[in-house]
Amino acid sequence: MTVDDVLQQVQAGLHLEAETEHEVLEELRGHLEEAVAAGMARGLTSEAALSQAAAALGIEQTAIELQATHAGWGALEGIAAAALPVIFALVLRWFIFAPDGTAAAWRELPVRPALAVIAAVVLLVPLIRFPRRRYALGLWLIFWALSLLTAIWPTTRW
Amino acid sequence: MQQVDQMRKGTTTLAILKLLADADQAMHGYQIIQALEQRSRGEFLFKEGLIYPRLHQMEQAGLLSSHWEGTPGTRQRKIYAITEAGRQALAAELAQWRTFSQGMDRLLGLAG
Repeated sequence: MTVDDVLQQVQAGLHLEAETEHEVLEELRGHLEEAVAAGMARGLTSEAALSQAAAALGIEQTAIELQATHAGWGALEGIAAAALPVIFALVLRWFIFAPDGTAAAWRELPVRPALAVIAAVVLLVPLIRFPRRRYALGLWLIFWALSLLTAIWPTTRW
Repeated sequence: MQQVDQMRKGTTTLAILKLLADADQAMHGYQIIQALEQRSRGEFLFKEGLIYPRLHQMEQAGLLSSHWEGTPGTRQRKIYAITEAGRQALAAELAQWRTFSQGMDRLLGLAG
């Protein structure tokens, strides 16, 4: 048995996003390597030390608890990541078109503080809330894509 | 059994917060487990694999922050530090713990 074998057993009980799963397994790899080194320092063979470390870890229970800890958060994060750019694009559109429903205000938009405020908020909120920055950047790009679409087709009803 | 589980979870969180606050430095999971066992002098046996989900939950709750230490290609470790919110939670939990402990001592007639 190797450290990778133990990690594969843990992984068999996980159904998480690839990056989260990778991070969790790398952390457990570090733990197992430390535990094996400590066991060998006490005079155990590497196999016996790994076997003891795996037993102390409790593979099945660890996988169940890790899955429970991370699964729900991923779903919430996904919903928020999908909803936020749409909501902010609608807010921006409301600023542009209200109250008369024309698109003329687009030309004035770059000098309005509202644009800078919304653009900053739509980037900062996910950066603070989401553990991964690429989510925030992706969300920001979707927001701008939606906003540009409303500029190109200003008469489209939302 | 549920009460025992709840108590275990609560005391593990408190023990981790106190350890990191006292250490005043970031620690990785294995170090935390070793330090907790050393502190409890074998009285409490922490299931090693359950410490990691607990650390992740505490991080999600904002009680701990973490970062990876080490360069790619070498052994990388995720290390944890207590946050300001964690210190505030620790102060509140310790106050509750003292109240509970003193109350139990009085109830059992152990208070001096």
